[in-house]
Amino acid sequence: MRYFDYIQPENIKQAGESASHGWRKALLYAGGTDLLGLIKNEVESPAALINLKAIPGLNGIEYSEREGLTIGALVKLSQLSAHEAVRERYSVLEQALKETASPQLRNMGTIGGNLCQRPRCWYFRGDFHCLRKGGDICYAVDGENKYHCVVGGGPCFIVHPSDPAVALLALDAWVTIASAKGTKRVALKDFFVLPEDDIYRENILQPGEIVTHIHVPPLSEKTVSGYIKFRERGAWDFAVVSVAATLRINGNTIIDGKAAFGGVAPKPWQEEKINQRLKGLSVKTENFELLSAEVLKEAEPLNQNAFKLPLVRNLLKRLLVQLTAS
Amino acid sequence: MADSKIIKSKYFFEEDFTEELAEVSANKYADWNKKELKVVGKPVSRADGYDKVSGSAVFTFDVILPNMAHAKTLRCPHPHAKIKSINTKKAEKIPGVLGILTFENAPKISWYGKSFLFDPHLRYEGDEVAFVAAENERIAEQALKVIEVDYEILPFVTDAAEAMKKDAPKLYANGNIRGGKPSIYERGNIDRGFEEASVVVEQTYKTQVEIHNPTEPHCSVVNWDGDYLTIWDSTQGVFSVRDRVADVLKLPASRVRVIKKYMGGGFGAKLEAGKYTVMAALLARKIGRPVRIALDRKEMNLSVGNRPDSVQKLKGGATKDGRLTALYHYSYGAAGAHPAGAGCSWPLRTMYLCPNVKTEEYTVYINAGRARPFRAPGHVQGFFALEALIDELAEKIGMDPLKFRIKNLTDRDQVFDAPYTSKLLLEAYRVAAEAIGWKNRPQPAGSDAGPVKRGIGMSSQIWWGGGGPPAYATLKLNRDGSVRVIAGSQDLGTGTYTILAQVASEVLEIPMEKIEVLLGDTAVAPYCGSSGGSTTAPSVSPAVRDAAEQMKAKLLSGAAAHLNVSEAQLVYRNGVIQTKGKNKKRMTIREIARKMGERVLVTTGKREANPNGYAINSFGVQFAEVEVDTETGKVNVKKIVAAYDIGRVLNPKTLENQIHGGIIQGLGFALFEERIIDRNTGKVLTTNLHDYKLPTVKDTPQIDIRIVSKGDSKISNTGVKGVGEPAMIPTPAAIGNAVYNAIGKRIKSLPITPDKVLTALQS
Repeated sequence: MRYFDYIQPENIKQAGESASHGWRKALLYAGGTDLLGLIKNEVESPAALINLKAIPGLNGIEYSEREGLTIGALVKLSQLSAHEAVRERYSVLEQALKETASPQLRNMGTIGGNLCQRPRCWYFRGDFHCLRKGGDICYAVDGENKYHCVVGGGPCFIVHPSDPAVALLALDAWVTIASAKGTKRVALKDFFVLPEDDIYRENILQPGEIVTHIHVPPLSEKTVSGYIKFRERGAWDFAVVSVAATLRINGNTIIDGKAAFGGVAPKPWQEEKINQRLKGLSVKTENFELLSAEVLKEAEPLNQNAFKLPLVRNLLKRLLVQLTAS
Repeated sequence: MADSKIIKSKYFFEEDFTEELAEVSANKYADWNKKELKVVGKPVSRADGYDKVSGSAVFTFDVILPNMAHAKTLRCPHPHAKIKSINTKKAEKIPGVLGILTFENAPKISWYGKSFLFDPHLRYEGDEVAFVAAENERIAEQALKVIEVDYEILPFVTDAAEAMKKDAPKLYANGNIRGGKPSIYERGNIDRGFEEASVVVEQTYKTQVEIHNPTEPHCSVVNWDGDYLTIWDSTQGVFSVRDRVADVLKLPASRVRVIKKYMGGGFGAKLEAGKYTVMAALLARKIGRPVRIALDRKEMNLSVGNRPDSVQKLKGGATKDGRLTALYHYSYGAAGAHPAGAGCSWPLRTMYLCPNVKTEEYTVYINAGRARPFRAPGHVQGFFALEALIDELAEKIGMDPLKFRIKNLTDRDQVFDAPYTSKLLLEAYRVAAEAIGWKNRPQPAGSDAGPVKRGIGMSSQIWWGGGGPPAYATLKLNRDGSVRVIAGSQDLGTGTYTILAQVASEVLEIPMEKIEVLLGDTAVAPYCGSSGGSTTAPSVSPAVRDAAEQMKAKLLSGAAAHLNVSEAQLVYRNGVIQTKGKNKKRMTIREIARKMGERVLVTTGKREANPNGYAINSFGVQFAEVEVDTETGKVNVKKIVAAYDIGRVLNPKTLENQIHGGIIQGLGFALFEERIIDRNTGKVLTTNLHDYKLPTVKDTPQIDIRIVSKGDSKISNTGVKGVGEPAMIPTPAAIGNAVYNAIGKRIKSLPITPDKVLTALQS
């Protein structure tokens, strides 16, 4: 670990200014559950660490039927999953939060940090000078790539590790991004970045930009939602594949719906075609099977991860059946 | 009273038979009757329980000495390289750096046979390049970064099959196959055996490299007091560490003291002195300060041992009525970069009655961390293959796999042609089959309806674990009637402190609270072997009983002197010594102990010889019930029933702990754990506990333990067989067979991960 400056700004403006001097020179420190490990393992070697925890106004959760849910970026995962509105109305988010990491990590990790965490690729995290770290090859392409992406990859083949991000994508969430210059609003689907667009980062944040809030639109009464995370062991494991869905149902018909997928792509993934086909679909297992078979049609698995395709399709079918069962 | 002699003692320890001279007790004691026992066999709580749950237990990792320096190791980042040059000047200049050792300034100490403590030829990622001591770990780490090493990168091989090829990069001048040839065992005539067979099954099974990953990393704290060296070490064998360190540093054994109190697991990786211990001792002497070295998790996953992988080609023949006629085993496994054993054919040689057997095993060097014994070396992987083959044979002849096994039981060890001292496997089968509901397993395999399919599978188990001499225990009676038991054994977290106190308490009728056990100190304790091979309880508990019985005789003698009666008139019962007949004179044990106190000599008990002409083995069976989700490929183990013949149970609580631990570790091997090496760079990818997946509490099944044995008086005065390794041996095989029963497809390589299951289901 190298020496770094420790900065504790009192407001977003100061934080934005402190963080705006160069690419990955100053890193934002919220819960630290990912960041401190990255620094200790020298995946990141920042010149400065900017502690956001003293900044007021980033700790709250607000809910109204008109505005939906507004979540401060510093809200802990365990705090969010326990919130009444989340439990009553946003099952998909609650489930994704509760499936994340371990209780200890959920008590420390923040929702903003969770969205901005770095990939778990073992080459990226390990002693390899890979593309994403400024090297000139992706070791996963011809290497050990069982956990890597099946779609959206190239020239780097990471998967995005967040569970809540997948749920939030299915909820049409958006984020507020602040900097010294002001604030802007970005839909979550436009927040994440594929390697073909930028190999060095997983989201659009520029130096000095900070996610301050996450907004989730209100859901209509008839909406059901859920999340299935598939991991190899029972706890403390990232998703091999995960599936989130929100469905507005009337009688025996899905009025409209959204599905999102984790563990398959370098960003939380959704397919417009699938969401379109959910519209007006009548609730029938065969329909769900047919629909699921269409998921990730453009996938190009690497030599060890083709199993993710039947897995993601089976999980989507299972989730749709579960959500429409009652 | 004490009667002893010296014998040649031979028993199985981890990877091979040991033979050594031992002083053994010739004292005979009445066999314990389970019903009359008051302490032994009872669920006594752990002596170390409070210390551990309260956090006050001091492990080696926690030892802090005044003025202690902290060390770190620079390890080779390449799978195969030579040091062309090394420059430590920049590192030496960092304030707080106290000393650096490299191959250039360290004494040339022979290690791993053909290598050295510091060897400029680096044969695996993680091989030691330099050792730095500094004021703290952070400074030591900084120093590692500025040591300049010019490596000559050499071609590498990290796969055993590749390494066996003629043109493979060589780790040693005479090639990558250890000894240049396979190790072969043969009995009968397998060609004739296969001719007699009406069915033959031939299959290849594979198992992965497993890393020990104990909770407490390998660590030592060393301190010189003049020419006297004290080492606190996280070790399974204090005497083994003492001997090695004394030998390489050319010190008299009397000047090396090795201490270990509490330990966070070893599983076989801590059976020998680590290089780090010797490096720390060298540097501590040089800088004149105590040195602490503790490995980090990455080093644990690279450098201090593993269960070698295996490729096992098995061929089995049986008659239509279910008699095994021939078994053939061909295997190879990766020992890593330095000598270690990778054989796994013992189960096939010993488990079932079969007159014609041949095994052919290759141990292969590759550019990766060295294999070490790991909880039942060879057996865990060997049983996975053997028990799959047995199930496949049974299916082919249309016989219930349990019946097929029963039909091929043997009451003799077929390798040494000797009867077992005891074998209650049939009873274990009966009890466990009933508990799991064997009759209700899906038939045929894969016939359970629905996407989540249930299955039941089984595996037998054989292990040695009878222990044997030499093992000694000293017993001291204190002035207040309390007792100190001292033995050069060690408690790995298994409960040795507790069970030895129970034995002394049982014999002397002195309460547990008044008995303290001191283990793991070479300066004060008489010799015991390393804690491995499931030998600690069976070796050491009889020595403690011997010591306690001798002390009991002294108490009787003392009471006789005090009461002015003859010893023959006295009985020792229920905490009281009293005369027979009328006009009773009596003293409580406490009274006589107080009277005698330290004024009597200590006693030293000795493990008696093992019986001649017998084989001592433990036996058992596990049945696994699993659910396989055919849409995700996930295997959920619902229940394990484990039934064992392990002789006498000294303490059902610590026994259950050991069996739970073994089953969970076996489950990890069956489903999750695997060292993965990047094929292109030869570097290990699983160097932390996220990528190297140990099982979690959520993966733990319901565990049902049945013990069918009461004690085996042929073995020793306590009649114990070890259970540490037997607990793990059958778990992966039982789970593998249960998965087959659930889905009707056999996963022939471990771990049984969802991708393999999904791929198998799609084929």
